[in-house]
Amino acid sequence: MAMWVVILPVVGAMVALFTGHRQERAAPLAGVVATAAALFTALLIGLSQWGDAPASEFGPYEISTGGTPILASLRVDELSASMLVLATAVALLVQVYSVAYLRGDPRYPTYTALVCLFTAAMALVVTADDLFVLLIGWEVMGVCSYFLISHHWELEPARAGAVKAFVMTRLGDIGLLFGIFVIGEAAGTYRISGILSAAGAGAISSGEATAATLLLLCGVVGKSAQFPLHSWLPDAMPGPTPISALIHAATMVAAGVFLVARLLPVFVLSDVSMTVLSAIAVVSMLGGALMALAAEDLKRVLAWSTVSQLAYMFAALSLGGYGAGVLHLLSHGAFKALLFLAAGSVIHAVGTQRLGDMGGLLRALPITFATMTIGFAALAGVPPLVGFFSKDAVLGVAYEQALHGEYAARGWLVLVAGLLGAALTAAYSTRAWLLMFLGPRRAAVEPHESSWLLLGPLIFLTIPCLVGSWAVLQPHFLSLEADPVHAPVTLISTTLVLGAVAATVLAWKHLGAADPAARLGPVQPVLAREFSYDALVERVIVQPSRFAVASVAANESSVVEPYAQGADTATQWSARLLRWLHDGNLQRYVTTVILGAVALAVVIGLAQ
Amino acid sequence: MPLLFPLVLSALLFAIGTYVVMARRHAVLVLMGVELMLNAVNLNLVAFDAWSHDPLDSGQVLALFVIAIAAAEIGLGLAIVLLVFRTHQHIDVDALRELADRDAASTP
Amino acid sequence: MTLVEVLFVLLGAMALGSAVLVAVSNNLVHCALWLVVTLGALAGCYLLLAAEFLAWVQVLIYLGAVVVLLLFALMLTRAPTGTVADLTSSNRILAALTAAAAAGVLIVSFAAGFGGTRIQIDSGDIGNAEALGSTLFGSWVLGFEVLSVLLLAALIGAIVLSRRQERD
Repeated sequence: MAMWVVILPVVGAMVALFTGHRQERAAPLAGVVATAAALFTALLIGLSQWGDAPASEFGPYEISTGGTPILASLRVDELSASMLVLATAVALLVQVYSVAYLRGDPRYPTYTALVCLFTAAMALVVTADDLFVLLIGWEVMGVCSYFLISHHWELEPARAGAVKAFVMTRLGDIGLLFGIFVIGEAAGTYRISGILSAAGAGAISSGEATAATLLLLCGVVGKSAQFPLHSWLPDAMPGPTPISALIHAATMVAAGVFLVARLLPVFVLSDVSMTVLSAIAVVSMLGGALMALAAEDLKRVLAWSTVSQLAYMFAALSLGGYGAGVLHLLSHGAFKALLFLAAGSVIHAVGTQRLGDMGGLLRALPITFATMTIGFAALAGVPPLVGFFSKDAVLGVAYEQALHGEYAARGWLVLVAGLLGAALTAAYSTRAWLLMFLGPRRAAVEPHESSWLLLGPLIFLTIPCLVGSWAVLQPHFLSLEADPVHAPVTLISTTLVLGAVAATVLAWKHLGAADPAARLGPVQPVLAREFSYDALVERVIVQPSRFAVASVAANESSVVEPYAQGADTATQWSARLLRWLHDGNLQRYVTTVILGAVALAVVIGLAQ
Repeated sequence: MPLLFPLVLSALLFAIGTYVVMARRHAVLVLMGVELMLNAVNLNLVAFDAWSHDPLDSGQVLALFVIAIAAAEIGLGLAIVLLVFRTHQHIDVDALRELADRDAASTP
Repeated sequence: MTLVEVLFVLLGAMALGSAVLVAVSNNLVHCALWLVVTLGALAGCYLLLAAEFLAWVQVLIYLGAVVVLLLFALMLTRAPTGTVADLTSSNRILAALTAAAAAGVLIVSFAAGFGGTRIQIDSGDIGNAEALGSTLFGSWVLGFEVLSVLLLAALIGAIVLSRRQERD
């Protein structure tokens, strides 16, 4: 059945592409219907997988490669099923939302087809049982992301962001490909279930696991926008906002987390990889939160927040906290999609993305305000919303490891960073919320509440934010074994969150409803420049590359070129010398041919 | 009979055929050279057929095919010779230099 | 040496000698006639190798048809019937050397490959026209049919080539 979740959106994409340009309503309809069908199938799969049902499989169909065969197969267990439901649900909401958000866009058929294709690719990634099948979905997602970021290709930032995203994720994907090779050779199969049982049986040595997982981490870091390949995600924001919600918040960037969660038994074999993952997570967590605190652009705030939140998931996974990581992945998918879609509603209303040009939107956009408040509260981790519990589950894993786990040092590191990050998250959420909805109105236009097609998905997405907390408090939710409440940690984190909120509000009041980030003093410009990371990359990687390219070009014209020209001249001269042979006397030609044949016969005869 | 008898005979006939093709000026003589070469091949085929006692008589059948193809070849060859004679009024093979590189047209 | 071997050597010498005359004679018509002798001697060789059907085909087609065609060609091109001084081109020395080299390579490789082997002809091999016919129209029928198409194509090609162009 999982196959259909992959096929249905592809069919929708085809229909949208081929009919969209003739019939204006066809493309949105095809997109919505196909995605709805996929969601329905995903829900059926989810119901059948609920509880202790065994994983359902499709395939394997063997593709022989001369070496270890590729086994085209799908496998749905609880993790896949919940990811499927999340991806298709957000995709459906985004499709509905886009109908209003991109109304009248001339490239709508392509847009909706790409969203459908992306949905199919994501479904393939989460259900794949072979690493190469997963890689196909992974790369299709990447190319859809590239095309969708550059949807408004007439704008320079959109083009630049798309190229940056493509190059950076591709850089990571090289590592991923080689990681797949290593892991496949080590385990003797590319089938994920086979790899996991090999890892469980101790068939993969620690060295092989380290090599494979470090290479896989390259791809994961690229896809999930973690340090040091993080800077593409904020630059991907010129894409349409629904795309940011679907691809760059809820699903595609979470694929990296999903991959690590899937292969966690292999990662556990390598202490080095887990330490590297912890370090990456801590840097991204704090760095992302700090930059979100100073960003001027609403969507950039959310993008940096995504980087930071994904780092929480990696932090949990790096301590072996599978349940906590996946739980945060699911809850983040819901509330970040909500935040992006609400941000889209705001941007639609005021026509700008700059936080400094908003303010006082509370009256004009009451429903957007209400839904976005729930989203921000979930992000900040205000009890009793879902973000509170999932974040505390992550912190709880760190706490357990710090006190009586085998990774005490890393546990402490993640715990401290996580608590600090929680405070920062609360602070940037409050800042963005205050600047948008309270204070004097600074918008140039009179804002109006958006249409119900935009608001419907927002309202729908508040449900998991509110009801989700009840779900995660159920013991054995999705067999995740995550423990959302740890009394001391919960106490400290709640205090920190509330303190950060209060401090931000006070600073905002004190500054007369101006940007509270001004209180950061000399640090603020550094953060607003995003630690000059792009400039650093420019200086360390781009300029040396340019120099190398220039020297290669010079080398080409001064060293390689003469060889080419020499070959040309030599050919001409030898041709002039041999011209006399070509005198038109057929008998001489025949003589040459026969002599050649005799000579060949002699040479071959002597050789044997 | 030693197998070498017909083989050596065919090799020598073949060599004479190549000489005729390479050195004789009249186009009809060149065609005769080709016939000599084909006959040398036929002799080879028949000799190997007699030697191997092939139940399918491959050697003799192939020799028959070669004879048929040679008949076709001689018919076409004579047609070409006549065409050349009509256009050039002679059929001296080494005087037909249309294939030469024109810029470097050397004296024959 | 058995009688068959003696006969074969004699016929072979005849074929070779007349072939050499084909290669060196300065009279075109003599060349064609020496070719007849060569081909006839070869037909005799075929007989000695127990391929009597092939021998008669050789006589019919080569001696009968091909040589007559060659003579026709000589007539149609108004070739001189007497002795001509320069029937051999300036390429002759190189051609002779090449031909000698080819013969040398062929003979050396034949001798190396089949030096000691002998052809054993049983009485059962003689008179095999019936067997040849059944394999030709059985196992070889596809090649036979393809060959008939080839002959048809050659026939049409010869007609097209030798037709006088009316436009000129």
